[in-house]
Amino acid sequence: MSPTLTGLIGIAALFILIFLRIPVGFVMAGVGFLGFGYIVSFDASMNMIAKDLFSVFGSYSLTVIPLFVLMGQLAYHSGISKRLFNAAYKFIGHWPGGLAIATVGACAAFAAICGSTNATAATMGAATLPEMKRYNYKPELATGVVAAGGSLGILIPPSVIFIVYGILTEQSIGRLFMAGLLPGLILVLLFILAIVIWTRMRPELGPKGPKVPLREKLASLSGLIETLLLFVLIMGGLFWGFFTPTEAGAIGAFGTLLLGLAGRNLTMKGFIASLAETTRISCMILVIVAGATIFGHFLAVSRIPFDIARGVSEIQLPRYAVMLIIIMVYLIGGCIIDSLALIMLTIPIFYPVVLLLGYDPIWFGVIIVLVTQIGVITPPVGINVYVVSGVARDVPLDVIFKGVLPFLAALIAGTLLLIAFPQIPLLLPGLMG
Amino acid sequence: MLRLKKQLDNLSNAFNWLAAGAILIMMALTCADVVLRLFRHPIPGTYEIVGLMGTVGVSFALAYTTAKKGHIMVEFLTNMMPKKTQCIVAAASEFFSALLFGIIAWQSTLYALDLIHTSEVSLTVEIPVYPFVLSIAIGCFLTGLVLATDFYTSLKRIIT
Repeated sequence: MSPTLTGLIGIAALFILIFLRIPVGFVMAGVGFLGFGYIVSFDASMNMIAKDLFSVFGSYSLTVIPLFVLMGQLAYHSGISKRLFNAAYKFIGHWPGGLAIATVGACAAFAAICGSTNATAATMGAATLPEMKRYNYKPELATGVVAAGGSLGILIPPSVIFIVYGILTEQSIGRLFMAGLLPGLILVLLFILAIVIWTRMRPELGPKGPKVPLREKLASLSGLIETLLLFVLIMGGLFWGFFTPTEAGAIGAFGTLLLGLAGRNLTMKGFIASLAETTRISCMILVIVAGATIFGHFLAVSRIPFDIARGVSEIQLPRYAVMLIIIMVYLIGGCIIDSLALIMLTIPIFYPVVLLLGYDPIWFGVIIVLVTQIGVITPPVGINVYVVSGVARDVPLDVIFKGVLPFLAALIAGTLLLIAFPQIPLLLPGLMG
Repeated sequence: MLRLKKQLDNLSNAFNWLAAGAILIMMALTCADVVLRLFRHPIPGTYEIVGLMGTVGVSFALAYTTAKKGHIMVEFLTNMMPKKTQCIVAAASEFFSALLFGIIAWQSTLYALDLIHTSEVSLTVEIPVYPFVLSIAIGCFLTGLVLATDFYTSLKRIIT
């Protein structure tokens, strides 16, 4: 059996096994181990598996993951999300759909210190859904906006997906973070536009809230300032090259811890829960990274990525057509496979093609994050929808999926915008030293 | 068997706290290094210590994460299967996963022994590397045990 054929069988086995509810990281490691052993030798394969695990778990650049996860967890358990929403809704709660707009704003701000979509959706859901219910918002708007707003967590830096993408493709994580910032803001605007249009068409979705006196508005700002400070500190440090992403994560986690303690918002119980969640989430991510590394070695000896890249250059499709196909794969895959797992599975295959076609690797990173962001809220897997339905137990799933639709449209518009104007995400990284 | 499972749960939980401790140390050390750098006194070897601590932070959390079913899985296909088939699929998955972690634990132990033999140390501060490779072996061994007990539970569910 030729290496290429072995590789193809390996990829097929990978996808079959993943759908049998075996942890994705385990499958990648197992198939990679067997495939590498078959092509090279099982002695070499045994050797590789131990060395790969150590090189991934002990990699300095990957320690950025637990640290940013810790930061997000500490922020979650210190109730920062509630204060962010509070500030936003004091300012615009009296607009039609104002609470929903406030939710988008608070999600964006929370995403700025938290790298995960489900954490953002869960935490914002718990903080904002009861309020929207109190002001008679219809459940489809309320839950839809939380699920969609939560997806901002992977685009607005720090983002776990950017970190993993950066490590896999050897791109600068700092540059990727910067690249996500403008598209993130554009999406926030598009989400707000979606709410405004939707509540214009059906005003009963989001009735006006009470007006708040100016003094109260100003008082609520304190909840915003701490987050802003933290964000500026981390992003500024990265932007001017003062520290590595790992250092940014450590400072961010420590800063969040101090803020939580100083404001007496972080209890002992919350601190312990943050730690337990941090180890679990980091372990989950790194197991996938390790699996992908092992699988990647197998793919490399099977020569499949090279064959595909060569094949693509030989059939001479226009480059945007190839990009369209790749995006379609992410769109369809994103509906059924977790976004992180999907990126880990596909990057070794697509990345050489993308480079060959002359696309900018940073731009491509932003695009696939956007596309997988669409995946997080599309049925049947749309993980954020399930997270929100876990918080809003009285709302049926199909209502949430219906509520997500206008935001899906906004996401698609945003993706098209970035494809048409690739300079948007590349603007900030270009300014870095 | 039930008692063994309980003890195993306690053990993975304890290891998980060690992992959390490692992550806190990584945070504290990195912050200290950044602050001291401002005064031109960086802590030598911070990068390599933090990287090595990372092995503890992940591998000691492995068994706990596995026991809590915390890994990313694709569930929508198996959810459509009848209960009995789900159990059979789960048992097979746990069996092979346990085997995989057994192999990794064994190979990591060999790798650690090899590193002891060649007395491999880190670049700047010259910490021996083998204890960290051993931590992976321990974490994977524990994970293998967790998966083996899961396999036993699934098997019992198929039979009854």
